[in-house]
Amino acid sequence: MSWIREGELNLLEKISANILKAGPMPKHVAFIMDGNRRFARKKHMERQEGHMQGFNKLAETLRWCKHLNIQEVTVYAFSIENFKRTKDEVDGLMELAKQKFEKLLEERENLEKHGVCIRVLGDLNMLPLDLQQLIAKAVVTTKSHNKCFLNVCFAYTSRYEITNAVREMAWGVEQGLIKSSDVSEALLSECLYSNNSPNPDLLIRTSGEVRLSDFLLWQTSHSCLVFQSVLWPEYSFWNLCEAILQFQLNHKSIQKARDLHREHQAFQQLEADRACAAEHLLQHGNGKPIDAQRRQEALLHQTACREERIQDFLQALKHKRDSFFNDLTSEAILA
Amino acid sequence: MALLHGLLWRLLLFLVHVNRALVSWLRVRLRSVQGRLWERAMAALLLPLALAGFPDQQKKLNHANPDANANPVTGSRAACRRARWLSDGRSLEKLPVHIGLLMAEEELSYTDTANLVVWCMAVGISYVSVYDQQGFFQKNNSRVLEEIVRQQQDLLGADGSKYSVEFLSNGSDKQQHQVLSLRSTVKLLCPDDGKQSIVQVAQQLCRSVENKERSSKDISVSMLDSLLRESKNVPDPELVVKFGPVDSTLGFLPWHIRLTEFISLPSHRGVSYEDLFGALQRYSSCQQRLGQ
Repeated sequence: MSWIREGELNLLEKISANILKAGPMPKHVAFIMDGNRRFARKKHMERQEGHMQGFNKLAETLRWCKHLNIQEVTVYAFSIENFKRTKDEVDGLMELAKQKFEKLLEERENLEKHGVCIRVLGDLNMLPLDLQQLIAKAVVTTKSHNKCFLNVCFAYTSRYEITNAVREMAWGVEQGLIKSSDVSEALLSECLYSNNSPNPDLLIRTSGEVRLSDFLLWQTSHSCLVFQSVLWPEYSFWNLCEAILQFQLNHKSIQKARDLHREHQAFQQLEADRACAAEHLLQHGNGKPIDAQRRQEALLHQTACREERIQDFLQALKHKRDSFFNDLTSEAILA
Repeated sequence: MALLHGLLWRLLLFLVHVNRALVSWLRVRLRSVQGRLWERAMAALLLPLALAGFPDQQKKLNHANPDANANPVTGSRAACRRARWLSDGRSLEKLPVHIGLLMAEEELSYTDTANLVVWCMAVGISYVSVYDQQGFFQKNNSRVLEEIVRQQQDLLGADGSKYSVEFLSNGSDKQQHQVLSLRSTVKLLCPDDGKQSIVQVAQQLCRSVENKERSSKDISVSMLDSLLRESKNVPDPELVVKFGPVDSTLGFLPWHIRLTEFISLPSHRGVSYEDLFGALQRYSSCQQRLGQ
């Protein structure tokens, strides 16, 4: 089964899609695709078959999203916690992932035609090397596509992601690129695996569980959360429409909450800059009187310096991450 | 065509709103029937009130008599209620140790919030965190505390002294949180306790790297977790009950809600003990697989 499904919506689906599109639409939707194993048990099939059906459903969902003008989708494919499952199942899932990424590379042209960019979020080092190389190849080949984005969270948990972001910032401090006082909410967001994506507008979890299970905890703090009871392989276009409708009902109040948060964040950044500028003035003021104008100048200077440092640091970080993927692909060619 | 779609969308939204209103109206009606039955069984002397409709009557019940000690009838009612709540708590297969009350509403009510906190304490929950997006409760913490003490007396009667109140200030934090000690700890949270506290921990770690006390490679999930945990060993909230129509966490402690179950109730205003207990029952019936 391929990653890209062709085909139009049927008439009824098309009408409903157009009606929904008259309202505000989510630009980025995240899925916790839960219920594959329960589905397999229910249908008396092999567990692996359940995971397979789950993947097929993902391809179908991507097609629906395309027709609904949703450009970005993030899915929780494999959690770090999932390594605790039986060896048999973990191996099966790794094998499935390998097949699917091989398939993806075969479909290169089709991906280019649709402009699909694939990103993998997580700590690839935890995976077998051949899978790492396949993933790196897929990521590098689709890097420049920009019509729609699929983020696959693999060997991922949100706490690990946040910790990794802190580690990257500490690395920046070690390298002398940033100061510890430059650390802010915005900078931490930029250091997450998801730094290239806007925060999801809508998070959908299937199979009736009502928790986030360590998925995008940071990014979904102002997202609409929808918990649906259907098992993932049975997910339908109408389930997706229902979730979007719920998003639309929430849209105004969540937008308001987001604006409030953004204002507060800007205020905090200003306060932090002020504090740094004041400290700088105290240390380098040479006992001259501190008036409002000097304070303002110091603040502007501090803000400009901080922004410059952060820009340099983020560039270095991006370079580090890109070369990780590039090295993996070139290793694969040599091998 | 676009105009027609727009109109249809509006109609659809309208229908959903009507549907929601209908459902919540039915819920209140149903509850009032149940409430009546319960009241009849509980106290015959309140029977005339029971016909006056449930929401009002619930308020009257909660506000009982401020002089609970003076009135032996109310006093014994409070004792009876307390015993029932405690046994309710014990009847559940599992009870959260730490519950979060997430207020996703514009208008906040001190009395109803205090009621919720007192009910949580009465069923035997050790840690109660109350969150709202504006940090309104944290700003007005003394008012909240006052209200909690009052509701405690109203609802639990004289013997409520068992849940005695103590002021504690959190040394490591600028904001003064008020804490009810002995049996339950109540914490009032605002958005700054969420992402901003993670940022502060990150700054702290980066500073120690700056001072060459630590290498960036040493930073681990468990290190962050222990720094983000209070000095007291408070577990992550196992359950968050969200009040209000917004389906979002609105920035509620992102680090700590990894495995938290979310249960929604329509509003905290006029909320009844049965509503809260219903949420606890739902929590008690779900099991977690932890990645397995």
